[in-house]
Amino acid sequence: MVIGQRIPKLDAPDKATGRTVYGHDVKLPGMLHGRILYSQYASAKIKRVDVSRALKLPGVKAILTAADNPPTKFGYGKDNTPIKGDVVRSFRDEVAAVAAVDADTAAEALDLIEIEYEPLTPLFDVRQAMKDSAPLIHPERKSNLFQKYKYSHGDIVEGERESDVVVEADFELPYVAHAAMETSVVIASFDHRDHLTLYSTTQIPFLLQRDLAEALGIEGNDIRIIQTAIGGAFGRGLDIYPYEPIAALLARKAGKPVRISFSRHEEFLAAPMRQPALIHARAGAKRDGKITFRDAYALLDVGAYISWGSVTPLVMMETTASLYRVPHVKFEADCVYTNNLITGAVRGYGNPQSTFYTETLMERLAVALNMDPVDFRLRNANIPNEEMPQGLIITSCGLKECIEAVAARADVGSQRSEVGSQKDSRISNQKSEINNQKLKRGIGFASTLNVGGGARIYKSDGCGATVKVDDFGHVSLITGSTEIGQGSETILAQIVAEVLGVKVEDINVLNSDTDVKPWDVGVHASRTTFIAGNAAHIAAMDARKQLFETASELLKAEPESLVTRDGKIFVNDSDRSADLAKVARSRHYREGGKVILGEGWYDPPTKMVDKDTYKGNISATYGFGTQMAEVEVDTETGKVRVLRLVCANDVGRAINPMAVEGQIEGGAQMGLGYALTEELIVKEGRVMNPDFLDYRLFTSADMPQIESIIIETDDPQGPFGAKGVGEMGGTPTAAAIANAIHDATGVWLTQLPMTPERVLRALEEAKK
Amino acid sequence: MKPFDYFSPKTLSEASEVLSKYNDDARMIAGGTDLLLKMKAGRLAPKAIINIKRIPDLRGLTFNSHLTLGALTTLEEIKQSPIIRQYYPALSSAAATMASVQIRNLATVGGNMCNAAPSADLAPILIALNATAVINGAKGERRVLLEEFFTAPGKSVLGVGELLISLEVPKQEGKSIYLKHSPREHMDIAVVGVGIACRGFNPLTQVRIILGAVAPIPLRAKKAEEEVMGGSLTKERIERAAKIAAEEARPIDDVRGSVWYRRKIVEVMVKRGLTGLVNGN
Repeated sequence: MVIGQRIPKLDAPDKATGRTVYGHDVKLPGMLHGRILYSQYASAKIKRVDVSRALKLPGVKAILTAADNPPTKFGYGKDNTPIKGDVVRSFRDEVAAVAAVDADTAAEALDLIEIEYEPLTPLFDVRQAMKDSAPLIHPERKSNLFQKYKYSHGDIVEGERESDVVVEADFELPYVAHAAMETSVVIASFDHRDHLTLYSTTQIPFLLQRDLAEALGIEGNDIRIIQTAIGGAFGRGLDIYPYEPIAALLARKAGKPVRISFSRHEEFLAAPMRQPALIHARAGAKRDGKITFRDAYALLDVGAYISWGSVTPLVMMETTASLYRVPHVKFEADCVYTNNLITGAVRGYGNPQSTFYTETLMERLAVALNMDPVDFRLRNANIPNEEMPQGLIITSCGLKECIEAVAARADVGSQRSEVGSQKDSRISNQKSEINNQKLKRGIGFASTLNVGGGARIYKSDGCGATVKVDDFGHVSLITGSTEIGQGSETILAQIVAEVLGVKVEDINVLNSDTDVKPWDVGVHASRTTFIAGNAAHIAAMDARKQLFETASELLKAEPESLVTRDGKIFVNDSDRSADLAKVARSRHYREGGKVILGEGWYDPPTKMVDKDTYKGNISATYGFGTQMAEVEVDTETGKVRVLRLVCANDVGRAINPMAVEGQIEGGAQMGLGYALTEELIVKEGRVMNPDFLDYRLFTSADMPQIESIIIETDDPQGPFGAKGVGEMGGTPTAAAIANAIHDATGVWLTQLPMTPERVLRALEEAKK
Repeated sequence: MKPFDYFSPKTLSEASEVLSKYNDDARMIAGGTDLLLKMKAGRLAPKAIINIKRIPDLRGLTFNSHLTLGALTTLEEIKQSPIIRQYYPALSSAAATMASVQIRNLATVGGNMCNAAPSADLAPILIALNATAVINGAKGERRVLLEEFFTAPGKSVLGVGELLISLEVPKQEGKSIYLKHSPREHMDIAVVGVGIACRGFNPLTQVRIILGAVAPIPLRAKKAEEEVMGGSLTKERIERAAKIAAEEARPIDDVRGSVWYRRKIVEVMVKRGLTGLVNGN
């Protein structure tokens, strides 16, 4: 049995020893280096562009200006162009680009480009941008409000009437960067037919073909995308961004391949960010501990051009409406243009934001009811086999088990008598004033709901796969899905190995070339194990059927009596067997021979949400998780140390427990950063901390002990019972920590990250 | 990065000569952990880079009547040195708070001083320990108290053609401590750093309290020192001194912390530092 084994990632040794080829390593013959010039203003008219001095610099091969733009606009909002022409709308706006023989020459050329601006009044505040009197970021749109979302079920007025307690708060959430180890990189190359090959770290190779075709004014059929090894993505590669068509346009103009690789500074400026959010949210509950209603409004900054920051409300509303069983829910969101940076999605796609307000309000309700927070959550937990008012069909569901597993490790429940009250919690009573410093300890809980069986945000949520068995028993899985460090190559290889009865290391996974691999939507929504896993399973079963067809002739046995094991095909309950290699050869070396090529396509039985009500079963199954944070707060400096983070996740079935733990721990690392240290400080449209000195990730030395608990619920539709886990590791962490800080100090934090200064301010406010 | 001339002198005089020739347009490189970042970011484009790692006079960590730290002594050497751990434990622990093992193996004490960042961790503790900077130039050697070495962010008393040779730290007869506050536990720079060295106990006969990252240069909190000198050192006096130090600080608002917060932290760190020295931990 390969399923359920702790198998180290197959691609890890090459990565750890520097053998892996990343986009930054790719060198094509004659390749030039591209650099982009960004705007000096957040909002301005461009009066004049003069590239004549830059063109004279030896080594400069091509300069791109807005005059080189194809006529069509691109992007989800159809509001973007590769180079900006008449107007710039943010500091990340591309105003020119250079291709030169080396990167330093290209950088020098940028300094020689003269651009004359006429500054306009910029809009940085979403509330200002919403006003009728606000200047329009895109005048052709008539409003800065790009999209409004309105969701409801039940009757919020009725919900409030039934409530014995009501809590509410305002929340302020920051920009967060993906901070992938590898910065954005792209190489564009045209062949003699004028067909484009793009070496890219995209997460959506097939959709990017379409988007790029539109941006470049060529046919999608003329574009091949080769994904180099991806050094972290986390949602960065879910959309087209201007540097991609810019690389292609430079390559065409120079007649040479062009690589654009971002500096870290550039990455912090021009890559999409996790969306900042201003949220007002309320919730109510009855004395018996049943939630009555939830009501939230989110004001969201999409930046100057539309990317996935405009779609995050779909996920926010799912948490608001369906995490726990809530009879009455209202959720509204406004997605607004400003002169700020483009916002997108970072691991969780709106869920880290919504889980923060949802789960801190849960804690407030428990406190208001004077009820144990674990008990309160259990009373409202989602249950298996229930259709939610939002239309989500919950099948397997281990939320109750997650809460209980975490609570058991926290050694709480009946012992925590004065949870969250203004008095110290039981833990902090024992340990306050440690080492003569004013340290207080507390614990907090938070849960999460996340799609675990794909997410139908496009008409198809499908993925294709083929499994090929050749001479020597060589097995290749060619999958539409993409490895972005999450471990999909290993998981998918395990699924195929299980079906074909071969060793996992004997499977080669090919997943990087649109000319080779079958179609797929992309790597997002924690969908790969479930969707690509099911597709790989179907393809492997098909290949096995073909193997059995030939083996039954060789072994003179019915195909139904055959099994795979140890690289061989056995007649059941006997030692009669044939090697996979022999079966493959026999199929090849004969008159009327055939290849062994299993084919799989999986598109889950789900629906897109209704465009007016936003209701519908978007995913084939849902993942759940709960975290418990134990913190120590230095009440004199405001510094919060997380001592323990206990994470339980319902993953259906762990195909590879080691990989699941990796996802939980990696998610926790990002969740801890979101909670305590990570914030891209944007003042008047400008990034104030575009480096790792002042953009603080949790380093390995900072990580607390992470205790992973895997809950298995055997999902009826998942491959071998598995469902997705990729994003939920980080979504509840900030709320668990905020709740723990409250437990320790009696203070509620509503702004992330909870920096020492913010915590100290909150403590001082509370003293007044 | 812009092109530059590169020199690798083997003697002090050769180095001085190149430095003088390029006037202000040459930069010395040892670990390069500050310099290269600035160059890569385009904030600095020197015409010449002078590798000083081959100059023997800049090496060495010796201890006899005092401690001599050659300018090339790495932060990791300071952290690990048994001599420093025994006789100047606060200096070792200050180095331990800095960067990562990889960076500490490259970065040097000379670089940390000459880069003259207001947040440099070794500055407050070395000034508290009353270190002297030994400087070499065309006119020979001169000595400057480290307390008087820094003049502005990124600036020191080093003139054209001069380089820092070593730091001399007197033998300590009392106790010392370095406390650092940063939002993240590891690999972070100080929002506030406090170095304190004292002699005597109840009464304190000598005390030096140096604040880092809360003024353009490391700041000596002289009024706070006066508050705790002589007489019986009570909790109340320590708290008063801490408040005074917070008032003496001249911090700015930036992305790392507000004026309000930095003063708060100065107060807490000075209080904890003095309390720690008194309590012997």
